[in-house]
Amino acid sequence: MWALVRPWRPGTRPLLADTPTRLLVAVACVVVAALVLASRTPLPTGAMRVVGVAAGHGALLATALAWAGCVPGSGVVAIVLLAAAAAAATLGPAGALAYLAVPLWVAWLARRQRLVALGLAGPVPRRALLAAVVLGAFLGGHLLVSASLTLGVHIRPVGGAGVLAALAYDAGANVLAAECLFRGALFNRAQRRWSFATALALATAAYVARYLVDPLLPKSVEWVVGAVFYLTLLSAGNCWLFWWSGSLVPGVVSALVFFAAYRLLGTGG
Amino acid sequence: MTRGLAAAAALTLAVVTALIALTGGGPASVLRHGFLLPVVALALAFGRLGGALGTGAALGLYAPVVLLEIERSGLTPETIEGLVTCAVVAGVGALGGALTTRARRQRARYETILTVQRALAGATPLEAALGRLRTVLIDRLRAADVGLVVRDGAREVVAGADRVAAGSVAAGVLAVGTSVFVPDVGEGRRPRRVFATPLLVAGQPIGVLAVERVAELDRDERAALDALGVHIAVALENARLTSRQRRFAEELERSVASATRRLEELDRAKSAFVAVASHELRTPLTALQGFSEILAARSLAPEEVRRMAGIMRAEAARLGRIVSDLLDLSRIERGLEPTLHRVPVAVEAALVATADLFRRGVADTIVVDCAPALPPVDADPDALERILTNLVSNAVKYSPPGSEVRLCARRAGAMVEVAVLDRGAGIPGDALARIFEPYYRVPATSTVRGTGLGLAVVKALVEAHGGVIHVESARDAGTRVAFSLPAVP
Repeated sequence: MWALVRPWRPGTRPLLADTPTRLLVAVACVVVAALVLASRTPLPTGAMRVVGVAAGHGALLATALAWAGCVPGSGVVAIVLLAAAAAAATLGPAGALAYLAVPLWVAWLARRQRLVALGLAGPVPRRALLAAVVLGAFLGGHLLVSASLTLGVHIRPVGGAGVLAALAYDAGANVLAAECLFRGALFNRAQRRWSFATALALATAAYVARYLVDPLLPKSVEWVVGAVFYLTLLSAGNCWLFWWSGSLVPGVVSALVFFAAYRLLGTGG
Repeated sequence: MTRGLAAAAALTLAVVTALIALTGGGPASVLRHGFLLPVVALALAFGRLGGALGTGAALGLYAPVVLLEIERSGLTPETIEGLVTCAVVAGVGALGGALTTRARRQRARYETILTVQRALAGATPLEAALGRLRTVLIDRLRAADVGLVVRDGAREVVAGADRVAAGSVAAGVLAVGTSVFVPDVGEGRRPRRVFATPLLVAGQPIGVLAVERVAELDRDERAALDALGVHIAVALENARLTSRQRRFAEELERSVASATRRLEELDRAKSAFVAVASHELRTPLTALQGFSEILAARSLAPEEVRRMAGIMRAEAARLGRIVSDLLDLSRIERGLEPTLHRVPVAVEAALVATADLFRRGVADTIVVDCAPALPPVDADPDALERILTNLVSNAVKYSPPGSEVRLCARRAGAMVEVAVLDRGAGIPGDALARIFEPYYRVPATSTVRGTGLGLAVVKALVEAHGGVIHVESARDAGTRVAFSLPAVP
């Protein structure tokens, strides 16, 4: 038994250890430079979106990869891929498929056992995947019903190019980056230091805060309250899925299902 | 059962929601109270998790009805009723779930304590009891692993590992006597929590209970484990005392049995001694009586009178030795040392005198071999004479006629070692350890005259001088009896 045979020394590493500070500072400088440039000269259409996507999601993903022990170059690759995908997406809905390069890059790293610390190694329990689909479908379905009833929004036709582009964006940037950082990195580290409830509260607060500052979220009170409500439940559910299964995949699946429902409202992307 | 209940609760929620929607009752519909039923049932059946899931599902279905009405009409008495219902459902779910979980944990703790007491109640060795307790605790505590360490005197009994490694959590708890919680041991996809609590008896750690779990181990449960540690410590202490008492009783039984056997042997030896001593005393007395009657009744030639007087003197001396041995043995058995009057005694002269006493016939079969410049010994001359007489007498008695008996002496540090060697049949190995016991006689020598007291007296006399005596013997190769006495500086 570990407690009897393995040496132990009190103390743990800082929660934010291995944060790629230089990379994050560089990304922030690029964003500031882009903002300054945009304020002085007109930029091509979608240029700021490319910068925003690459900087925002790239910073989250690069931080998660660094916390998992990957070399800083891995994070840079992710940022470059996100920038390229965002640029391709400006050319047309089909260009958004380029976002799928990011999960392929992450899967490539996971296959080489470099993302064990993010819960991306080993088999995924089928029951956890089923529970993830149920959770995402329940929250997404509830969102569709309650939003259509209270906010009067309409559901987009399924299969529209815009919806598919939004789904690709979620799979490659939005959901992947958020789940990797807030679940795989932050929650996983926190639950190994404190109780499940504390880790859940921390990860959920950070997760909700990330979406509240997202410029794509409508700023009306109804939407903000709704976002807080659903994202809190989604985050809590995903934390529980991660804790139960030890894998990040179920959380990604439930978030993808939920955001798929959200994209049907026609407010995202 | 649980799946059926969950399905029934889900069905009830769906039916209540559908009825409210179909009847158009709105947030103040009397049917809204139907949401309480599945929430309470789930809370009672599954505790905190069931209450939370039931509440979440009920509010998820009922909240759109209330929120839609609030958006349409604002805060009216109906919408306020709806909000109150939401609060009641949430409160009932949370409270019912929390109370159920708490009651279950409490019951589980009592059952665990009972299980621990049952596991340690059997009359088994500590190792087996710990192993059984560990198995029970893994099951009861839903633990991935459980380790137990108990100090039993100088040794540590461990269950769950071969030993306690230095620097481990258990070693630290044993040393300091306070609990340690490790939120994650750093292995595996899920956090493995470890909690180690000391087993305290009278404030002193007698062991450690370590629990490893791939699940939550919250503050309440850690406090419960601390309390469980106290119960286990008391139960283990009782088991240890019982085990020790049992061992003591068994040892006592063995000692009593051994002492009884020894007393029986002693009794038999004494009975045999009485018979032998009677015979040994009677023989010289008979000789003295017979020769004295002959001397009184007849006129004999002077040579014949001298011969008879010599025989009478030898028999009287023999009688005197037996009586002296009996007196010495009596003192030894009363725990008294023989009275000694120590003076410097020349060893070589004593050996020669003893050899002269036992020389038989023409052939000189008793050889004295002393190292040159041997110092005198600090001894009682009479005691030394009796020691030598006894040993040489035995050597002569148990040697074939005509075989050599050798008396040797040499210096050994501050002592002088004297050895008597014969070429007799030797002493059997199993008898060697007992030949200095009073009344003991080697069974194969029962045809030879003797009382079984001589060597016991010799040993007592040697030890009274501060010396030691030991015997070496080989089958059919002879016996060597050596003793040491302090040399005069």
